[in-house]
Amino acid sequence: MKKKAGRAPAEKGRGKRVENKEKTKRAILRAALELFAEKGFYHTTTKAISRKAGIAEGTLFNYFQTKEDLALYFFEQELDEIITWYERDRRIKRAALAEKLFAIIHRFLERLAPYEEFIGAVYLRALAPTSKLSPWSLQTQERNLRYLRFIRGILAEAEAAGELPPVGDFGAYAFGLFHLAIITHWLRDRSRGKEQTLALLDRCLKLAAHVSKKGGWAW
Amino acid sequence: MNKNEKSGAVARGCRIGKLGFSLVGSYLGYQAQNLLLGEEEKPQRRVRFQQQASRRVREELGVLKGPAMKLGQMLSMQTGILSEEALQELAQLQMHAPGMHASLTRAQFKSALGKYPEQMFREFDPEAFAAASLGQVHRAVTKTGDQVAVKIQYPAIRSAIENDFNLLRSATLPTRLTGHVPAALLEEIRRGLLEETDYVREADNLEFFRNGLSGLDYLTIPRVHRGLSTDRVLTMSYVEGESLGNFLKRKPSRALRDLLGARLLEMHRTQLYRLNALHADHHPGNYLFQPDGHIGLVDFGCVKRLSFNISELDTCQCRRSWRESEAAARHFLALAYGSRAPYSRARKMLPLLERMSDIFYPQSDSADIVIDYRDPKSYAKFREISRQHQKLVLQNKLINPEFAFLIRANVGLGHLLHELGATVNISELRRRVSAAPAVGQNESDESRAGKIQRTTVFPA
Repeated sequence: MKKKAGRAPAEKGRGKRVENKEKTKRAILRAALELFAEKGFYHTTTKAISRKAGIAEGTLFNYFQTKEDLALYFFEQELDEIITWYERDRRIKRAALAEKLFAIIHRFLERLAPYEEFIGAVYLRALAPTSKLSPWSLQTQERNLRYLRFIRGILAEAEAAGELPPVGDFGAYAFGLFHLAIITHWLRDRSRGKEQTLALLDRCLKLAAHVSKKGGWAW
Repeated sequence: MNKNEKSGAVARGCRIGKLGFSLVGSYLGYQAQNLLLGEEEKPQRRVRFQQQASRRVREELGVLKGPAMKLGQMLSMQTGILSEEALQELAQLQMHAPGMHASLTRAQFKSALGKYPEQMFREFDPEAFAAASLGQVHRAVTKTGDQVAVKIQYPAIRSAIENDFNLLRSATLPTRLTGHVPAALLEEIRRGLLEETDYVREADNLEFFRNGLSGLDYLTIPRVHRGLSTDRVLTMSYVEGESLGNFLKRKPSRALRDLLGARLLEMHRTQLYRLNALHADHHPGNYLFQPDGHIGLVDFGCVKRLSFNISELDTCQCRRSWRESEAAARHFLALAYGSRAPYSRARKMLPLLERMSDIFYPQSDSADIVIDYRDPKSYAKFREISRQHQKLVLQNKLINPEFAFLIRANVGLGHLLHELGATVNISELRRRVSAAPAVGQNESDESRAGKIQRTTVFPA
């Protein structure tokens, strides 16, 4: 009893510190996103971000050393959001595999929509092999693995249900690349309401479902 | 669904190409056979040829689904090379977009209207209750409590159709060169298809026909909710009724079936003669029947507005106007085969047109034309003469693009009436519908410009 009572406030305090830290991080991200939407990724200074978030510029660097760190954090948050949403949405969990995958990518796109310019800038940066944002940088690996595990889990369920022939981890990797390709298409898509991307996404997933049903993986 | 169905541009391209060739092959074969065979051999050969061609065209078209299907459908209906059964089956083929799952429906709705369906309706059923041309239909309840049907188009269908059409244009080059498939016919189909992708236009059509046909009190046409519609989403009032198949399962009485048959024909004729326009998609799913004899008509995507006055064509045929003078003959033939058709070729049609008019517009008023649509014998002579006419049209390269949608509509309506098993007095119908004030030439000019006000000319 005593022990428990003694430890609780300390844990509470640490928990609160972590929580506060996370709160500040989110406030900075929010401020940054607003500025990115307003002025663009390249024209936003760290000074402006810290002023908008209501913190000292020095404090900002404690959280994010560069704007790229900020972008990394943004994608981490988005991934968290998608995983939580997927786990909670009962309808989508019962849907066919093609619809699940469609809904995941579409939700990503919907959430990215307000920051299209920012995402475009991130994409350009990520092309440089030395960038932290590059899909091959060590900083992105943790997030990539989390994403791959999430998708792998969905594919494994479909495999178990006989909806998909065994595709192994390769399936998740392939889907990840497809996801990147769709985002690229979406960034360039000038059709009304980006409906071309919707059609492309739907048709590709249906085609993949069709091919895999016919045992297309058995090479 | 067909096992052979393939998706993807390449597979579809191959199919369109193949169809192009097989259509050319059919026509050439048919022409050659007409030249080489003696009169007495023709019937047997024709039956065999028809069977082959029917099978080929039906199989190919059933798989194609896009613009190529539409072209094949219209061509085979105009050229009389197919059997009646195959024609009726063809008339029912519809353009199909791939189905949309709930997530895509939601996404497409937002892409078109800027908000999700659950934000704009009190209730929205994520499962479609019907397939529509190029999309699907969902039931919903508006915030004010109205029951509605929401038609949602498959994303980016317009550019898909344009792509298919470019393929089709290349595939049909040989037939266009020989003059059997006039470029104008292709253009007519393209126009019709692209119009179908514009739901704002369909909303205009709905209102045009709702006003124009308000005199037919047994007919229900949905009301458009403009605030909940765009060019890719169309929200309309929900129309009660059953499809023909389900309606017939209840074994409706003979009298009711005859009544419905007469009403279907009256609707058809009223559109043509008073509105100079036609709901040209006689797909059975577009008619909703109610046990009290009410009819609901939905899906106004495929509408043909005539650029000429069809009652004038009728009058000419009743009067046999071509006998009067060469000028009158030229005028009549231009109406029937288009102003571009050369008189020297069109003139060859006159002997057959004489016989045709004797059957369709008998000069003695004593005997009414009564058709029992259940019994093919009852309209065999109409069918036979039409077939001869179509054959001669093809031989003389006189296909009139104006009629492409009309003929398809007629075949579709014939099928509907056959299924319904109705008996209709055609002469009585003609007298009733043409008794209203005729459409003046000036007014039809206005209708060409797409003015809706013209409907106010007609008494409700």
